[in-house]
Amino acid sequence: MNMELTELTRALSAIPGPSGFESPVSEYIAEYVRPFADDVKIDVMGTLLAWKRCGKTGAKTVLLDAHMDEVGFIVTAVEEGGFLKFSTLGGIDARILPALEVKVLSEDGPLFGVIGTMPPHALKAGDSDKAVDADDLYIDVGLSQEEAEKRVPPGTPAVYAAGCDTMAGGRLCGKSLDDRVCAAIQVKAFEDLCGRDLNVDLCLMISTQEEVGGRGAVTGAWGADPDYAIVSDVTFDKGTDGKSVATVLGKGAAIAVGPNMNTAMTRELVRLAEEKGIPYQIEVCPGRSGTNAEEIQISRLGVATALVSLPIRYMHTPIECALPEDMESVRRLVAEYVASMEA
Amino acid sequence: MLDTLETLCCLSGVSGNEDEVRDYILERVMPFADEIRTDPMGNLMVFKKGEVSPDQTIMLAAHMDEVGLIVTDITDDGFLKFAFAGGIDRRVLPGKRVYVGESRTLGVVGMKAVHMTDAKERKELSELEDMYIDIGASDRKSAEELVRLGDTVSFDDTVIRFGDGFLKAKAIDDRVGCATMLELIESRLPCDCWFAFTVQEEVGCRGAVTAARSIQPDVALILEGTTAADIPGVKGADRICRLGQGVVIPFMDRGTIYDKALYGQLTAIADKNEISWQTKTRIAGGTDASVIQRSMTGVRVAAVSVAVRNIHSPAGVAKISECEAQLRLARLFLEDMAKA
Repeated sequence: MNMELTELTRALSAIPGPSGFESPVSEYIAEYVRPFADDVKIDVMGTLLAWKRCGKTGAKTVLLDAHMDEVGFIVTAVEEGGFLKFSTLGGIDARILPALEVKVLSEDGPLFGVIGTMPPHALKAGDSDKAVDADDLYIDVGLSQEEAEKRVPPGTPAVYAAGCDTMAGGRLCGKSLDDRVCAAIQVKAFEDLCGRDLNVDLCLMISTQEEVGGRGAVTGAWGADPDYAIVSDVTFDKGTDGKSVATVLGKGAAIAVGPNMNTAMTRELVRLAEEKGIPYQIEVCPGRSGTNAEEIQISRLGVATALVSLPIRYMHTPIECALPEDMESVRRLVAEYVASMEA
Repeated sequence: MLDTLETLCCLSGVSGNEDEVRDYILERVMPFADEIRTDPMGNLMVFKKGEVSPDQTIMLAAHMDEVGLIVTDITDDGFLKFAFAGGIDRRVLPGKRVYVGESRTLGVVGMKAVHMTDAKERKELSELEDMYIDIGASDRKSAEELVRLGDTVSFDDTVIRFGDGFLKAKAIDDRVGCATMLELIESRLPCDCWFAFTVQEEVGCRGAVTAARSIQPDVALILEGTTAADIPGVKGADRICRLGQGVVIPFMDRGTIYDKALYGQLTAIADKNEISWQTKTRIAGGTDASVIQRSMTGVRVAAVSVAVRNIHSPAGVAKISECEAQLRLARLFLEDMAKA
């Protein structure tokens, strides 16, 4: 079941797995890596660890991380008329919610739902100039209150009801590219490296609950006990996210520089990118990186950690956009780095 | 009928660009029509003989157009700027997929990532002039290869049946009326009838003006999808009408005070045949009846509508049984007119 990077990204994007409810994603990835990994485990937090040992005495361990969870929703109450009150799992801008389509993950199968909106005909002057308040919004699954109480009890999660499409220029557009696209990149890098003669033991970690605070990476990194880690996550695009952003869609892998990252690893990544002609850009992170690199760097007694990011547009929406060329740059850079590591 | 409705909802027909819808309907009605007319506005008018020929000319009407966007500019970075065709609350746009122009180029209404906003910004709504569509073009030149100024933009066309007999689609307003008329045209009619598939309703009932003059009806029944505000937080009469309460027979809206005798006739037919019906509990919205009623020396008008939640958005929702009830009531109305 060998899949190309974009194909694997699409497959992963289609799987519903909001923070705390990621098991369909980990099961899919476990099955994918099992044929070439030495060992695959899923820990108590749901984080997946897959190993490939080089068999050399005293080999160091390198961790490749990306997170598997996506932002989503969780039902908190069933209200009169069967409408569902909800909170978000992870950061979602309420301004995308009116008329949004969702997939409610009830135990007896997914239910389609829409977040209702007032008809423009019934609005008072000025109403439509105000941003909506998420507290006023509900998911409509077209069920009576009695039926909804039975099938969609509080605690039922939901995700965006969106697929992964291809836009002009080959750009991917879909839900949960944050961070399934980097999960696919790390899985493909791991797959590639499993076929090579390495000087290090390799551990692939696809972690849970990043969108609610890097929680799955905490236990996963402890279990993996690595010496080095390369984290891959999505980052922003200057074109749509504003002037404070330096990374640009289409300019290649974003190598992060800052206190959250190990300087020697970062410099080596830059050197390798130059040497191999892999498109890259520098992303300066003066403080927190907002990624699992934060948790992994201070795991156990400390881990030398690097962060190679992928710029995307419209993060945390159903229309996240990523470029296959950038994805390929990140994959190549991660794989080249690990392959070039000496004993 | 449901298949017809779903097919119609998937077609693009933003006001002023109804060709795709008209072409589809034309092909379907061709074998059944006794007369077909089009006019310079783009209306499609179909006459079909029934079992009897009443003295009065009866016209059924539904509009082919849907609300959408229209491309007004292309930026140097390859983003599209747009205006509305029809009444759209711009709050339904951020984060949505759209299809642009005849090439049906996939686009998205983009916005800054939530991480890059502060709490104050998240409480503010972007002005229309700050919104844009991203079609994956890297600059103006590559965008121009796919899109022209004036291209219309329609919402995501995914149709989904869900819950307890509900349908989610764009453009249920008013493809439901078009579907009802198509089904009638393809069946045996109790009496002669004209069917007007009109254009440009959403930008001010402009097509119906000329269609009514062409047909010159005595009686017109408008088949519509109408505004339901039955969502949490809206109480009592402010909900206008409610899904699950039956077809909507209005006595008045913002454009028309409907003919009292026809209103009584329709409600009586519905009662007699156990078709659930409701009326609008708030004077909101309007239909082609507004211009048809004031055509020539005046036309008697009535409407039978289907309640649509999230109307004028990509995620309109209607109760399937109520779409079917619109068809049933329209047919019973023609039977009643055949007896008169």
